[in-house]
Amino acid sequence: MSVRNSLLALIAAQPAHGYGLKSEFESSTAGEWPLNAGQVYTTLSRLERDGLIIPAGDSGSRGEAGELDRRAWEVTAEGREALARWFDTPVENRSPRDEVVIKVLVAIATRQANLRQVLQTQRSATMKRLQEYTRHKIEADPDEQLAWLLLLDAMILRADAEIRWLDLCEQRLKQLDEERGS
Amino acid sequence: MIAEVVTQEPVLQFEGVSRVHGSGPTAVRALGPVSFKIRSGELVAIMGPSGSGKSTLLSLAGALDVPSSGTVRLNGRDLANRNPAELSQLRRRTVGFVFQELNLLPGLTAVENVRLPLELDGHPLGDAHQRALEELSHVGLRDLADRFPDNLSGGEQQRVAIARAFVGPRSLLLADEPTGALDSVTGESVVRLLKKQCALGRTVVIVTHDAAHAGWADRVLYLRDGEIVDETVASTAGAGGIES
Ligand SMILES: Nc1ncnc2c1ncn2[C@@H]1O[C@H](COP(=O)(O)OP(=O)(O)OP(=O)(O)O)[C@@H](O)[C@H]1O
Ligand SMILES: [Mg+2]
Repeated sequence: MSVRNSLLALIAAQPAHGYGLKSEFESSTAGEWPLNAGQVYTTLSRLERDGLIIPAGDSGSRGEAGELDRRAWEVTAEGREALARWFDTPVENRSPRDEVVIKVLVAIATRQANLRQVLQTQRSATMKRLQEYTRHKIEADPDEQLAWLLLLDAMILRADAEIRWLDLCEQRLKQLDEERGS
Repeated sequence: MIAEVVTQEPVLQFEGVSRVHGSGPTAVRALGPVSFKIRSGELVAIMGPSGSGKSTLLSLAGALDVPSSGTVRLNGRDLANRNPAELSQLRRRTVGFVFQELNLLPGLTAVENVRLPLELDGHPLGDAHQRALEELSHVGLRDLADRFPDNLSGGEQQRVAIARAFVGPRSLLLADEPTGALDSVTGESVVRLLKKQCALGRTVVIVTHDAAHAGWADRVLYLRDGEIVDETVASTAGAGGIES
């Protein structure tokens, strides 16, 4: 869904060719979301099928499949509406599923591991990853690499949240132990 | 030859240091025993749950507290057995402190706050003032030198406190949650500033609950129940990708 809407947004910003869209998408998401050409063309033909984009101007000598990548696309009125809807609608239904969360919950439920050790090992690894992101951030140029910088911020804050959660798990369990002990 | 050996000495070294409050069955072990070294130019973050001994460690490092056992060395010299005059000189010339809040004297302007340690150390006023202004420039606050703390934001006050902690020849800064009361962007600008100071050859130890801020450190020491249970070292190798 986000690839489809992102390509639509790029075309709305400026009529574009399939090959250009691939690299534009990748640079606006700081290379974190590589697309393959097939994916781009499949998405474009679906957008066309749904009436959200059309070949640009009259240059649209509607060729065969082989010519698909030479076509420039532009957004339709319907396309603009669909795009506005996407931006107006908050992202919902995030899944809490995550291997770290599952591992810790299972460790608590099954007592098959030294929980403190599991928490500490993960904490240490996540902290190291966070340090790595921060190093990239220090090296990044805010004017030239804004997307990259913001992506790093997102990764850093996610790692930070994970560390806080691991600390919280440890402290809750400690509290419980103390309450049970007394 | 000797000078060379001295400069390679760690700025700060803890050897089997512990701090116990009280005695007998009611004794509380606030810290240790812990051992570690901090080298010149390093930015080290201390993390750990509340009560794990972080502030105790900083107080011992800055000679605000005395260990129950073990040795704290500053620039190679044992802190024990120094007389009060030597210790207060140490705090004016070698070590600076930044606390979480209430750092500045409200009746003094920013520049007056910063030059205070120099005045106490007997510097002529004009010279102290000039140096204080330079230090304020380092933290980007030259223009606000004549403001009183009440008229500065929390982040600006912390930067003034950092300038004061570094003014003069002091080379080691100990900061206890300097970003605690600040938003992410302001907090980050404070850490960025500390990092810059390290690049100038100064050494910084910072206590923080904020992993995003600790991420700026060369090393993160993690305390639990008074012990160092983990240490993560930032890799300095060339750029690697981000694995998702
Ligand atoms: N003067 C004292 N007398 C008795 N116990 C003390 C004293 N000072 C500190 N402690 C105890 O030593 C332990 C470590 O305290 P410390 O202030 O170093 O923790 P901290 O890691 O800085 O915590 P926080 O994150 O809450 O600031 C705590 O259990 C505390 O209660
Ligand atoms: Mg504390």
